[in-house]
Amino acid sequence: MAGLCLLALAAVLAVLVQQAVRAFAPVPVAELRWRSDAGEQQMLAAVVFEDAHELVVRGSEWQRRGAEYRRIARADLLQLDWPADARSLRLHDGREIHRRGLALPQAPDGSRPAAADVAEDVASNRLSRGETAGLMLRRAWDFVAGTAQGGGVFPALVGTVVLVLLMSVLVMPLGVLLALWLHEYAGSGRSARVLRAAMANLAGVPAVIYGLFGLVLFVNGVGGGVDALMHSATPRWGGGGLLWSALTLALLTLPVVVIATEEGLARVPAALRHGALALGATRAEMLWRVVLPVARPALLTAFILAVARAAGEVAPLMLVGAVRYAPALPLDGEFPYLHLSRQFMHLGQSVYDLALAGGDAPRDMAQAHAAALLLLVVVVGLNAAAIVVRNRLRERARELAV
Amino acid sequence: MSAREDAVDAAVMPPDLLAGRELALEARGLSLDYSERRALDAVNLQVPRRRVTALIGPSGCGKSSLLRCFNRLNDEIAGCRVSGEVRVLGLDAYAETTALPELRRRVGMVFQKPNPFPQSVADNVAFGLRLAGLRSRLELDDRVEAALRAAGLWEEVRDRLDDSALRLSAGQQQRLVIARALAVEPEVLLMDEPASMLDPISTLRFEELVVALRERYSVLLVTHNMQQAARVADYTAFLQAGRLLEFDATDRIFTNPRLRGTEDYITGRMREDRG
Ligand SMILES: Nc1ncnc2c1ncn2[C@@H]1O[C@H](COP(=O)(O)OP(=O)(O)OP(=O)(O)O)[C@@H](O)[C@H]1O
Ligand SMILES: [Mg+2]
Repeated sequence: MAGLCLLALAAVLAVLVQQAVRAFAPVPVAELRWRSDAGEQQMLAAVVFEDAHELVVRGSEWQRRGAEYRRIARADLLQLDWPADARSLRLHDGREIHRRGLALPQAPDGSRPAAADVAEDVASNRLSRGETAGLMLRRAWDFVAGTAQGGGVFPALVGTVVLVLLMSVLVMPLGVLLALWLHEYAGSGRSARVLRAAMANLAGVPAVIYGLFGLVLFVNGVGGGVDALMHSATPRWGGGGLLWSALTLALLTLPVVVIATEEGLARVPAALRHGALALGATRAEMLWRVVLPVARPALLTAFILAVARAAGEVAPLMLVGAVRYAPALPLDGEFPYLHLSRQFMHLGQSVYDLALAGGDAPRDMAQAHAAALLLLVVVVGLNAAAIVVRNRLRERARELAV
Repeated sequence: MSAREDAVDAAVMPPDLLAGRELALEARGLSLDYSERRALDAVNLQVPRRRVTALIGPSGCGKSSLLRCFNRLNDEIAGCRVSGEVRVLGLDAYAETTALPELRRRVGMVFQKPNPFPQSVADNVAFGLRLAGLRSRLELDDRVEAALRAAGLWEEVRDRLDDSALRLSAGQQQRLVIARALAVEPEVLLMDEPASMLDPISTLRFEELVVALRERYSVLLVTHNMQQAARVADYTAFLQAGRLLEFDATDRIFTNPRLRGTEDYITGRMREDRG
């Protein structure tokens, strides 16, 4: 079973990696001449795709990123050379421009890109394996650690991690308290039955409904109320933000945490509870000193499940604070360091945006896969950390149980 | 409840047996049901102070259930209902105003199955002391050592106090939970077959401990070992099928029981113990 899961994970990873690599791989540049309806044409272009019937090429993007795509049938091709002195420039805004030789090329309108605009300049057709690998690594790093303006997803990465951690900080105490109340105090009373049924049903509600709920309750309700109280001219809390998003996700994952914790509590032997009570422990002391320590692995399981569920959800966040472009990170060196009312970027949203971007479909699709891969790495990384901690605890528990 | 039922039945117990003795525990007309099944039926039992009282009877007759009435641990068992009167050290245990932690601090319990916490040996023994608010490292160490010595476990665990209690052998665990109960110095001790897993030497040491405990504690001891009851108990109560059939001084009950049932059970067990 575990093997099968790992296999599935490996397959997903393999597909993502294979697609994502294309976002960073250098593309060879060709000198082309072909026949078209408008007569014979000639161009220096990156060959993005080629098969037996046609080529897809991208000429210099003088106007904007993603323009200048062309499809050329092999039958119309008159000439195809791979000049050794062909070079590709990548500008800071993501556009790519091709030329031969070292001089900065001239745009059709007569202007030239300034040297300061150039982010990367490579001899596309003469790259050794080592150079290719270095180039790809540098591009991948720029993607992961770069700002949004430069086509990077660093703000989204930070947003995702901060959001998930804040969500856990909110949901764990609440979920554990609820589970304790349900399992230890409420018995089989009416309110407990209602709450249990609610939890079971809430676990199945589509995520976007939580988003709507969070919008109405947190953003418009609480946030709007706070703004009105503070007479702020511009909405600060009354708009989407990190805190509202974390709370929405906390609501979303609450059932998971409560159910997993309750299962853990149910596995604590009655003999231990009785032993503590018989020594004069109050119910709270018994729970705190005996039951919760024994149930600690179950709490970490609850945490793992919550992170796994929360990190993958994007739909509800779009309603309560995740945006395509946020001017500032939610976590920075400026007091109070964690900015709870700020809008933020999220890797899940980046995946959507890149995948649906109209501009440069092949390049953006590849980047969408790269962003998805990064999101997966974040989720798996957080889970792995929790699993390591849980296994340590289990080992300790096993040692204690020898 | 009428006055006639209220009085301890003369057929069960000689009327002047405990005359003038202070009582540690007292059950009057105590009945106990698990869901639909009756486990105790109108039990009248008196356990004198600073004496050892043995509770004997066949398996399933309700000994453990009876013990759990005196520290109200039955409250924890779903579907368990108790009726009648239970007095502990002169107070009504089932009164609204009874503070359970306080009651249970005064009435210690050693369970039928050893139930050490998954913590270190020392933390197990210190558990009740910490609950009572004791914080001083030195004093905790002293009291832990004293309790372990009293339970006859100190020599075996003195250099593994920080090891997990769950690594101790079953017999060691049994003495550990005795030490845990002794550490808080309760006034009454409920012991449910506390020597069932002990070797003969440890059993002997345990019996010496119980005899020594008489000085300060009131002990109610469940045992299936008739010799043990004869050796350590001042009084013996015989329970069968949820009813208290006979209560008397131990030497009388073992030499000259008034009921056939008591005699049959005791001689049967004696023969079994020997064979
Ligand atoms: N938690 C429970 N739920 C339902 N029935 C119970 C429960 N505990 C005990 N009983 C029943 O109550 C009766 C008395 O049980 P109890 O454990 O008090 O007997 P005992 O005299 O201690 O037996 P033993 O010598 O085997 O320990 C038995 O018939 C038992 O099946
Ligand atoms: Mg029993």
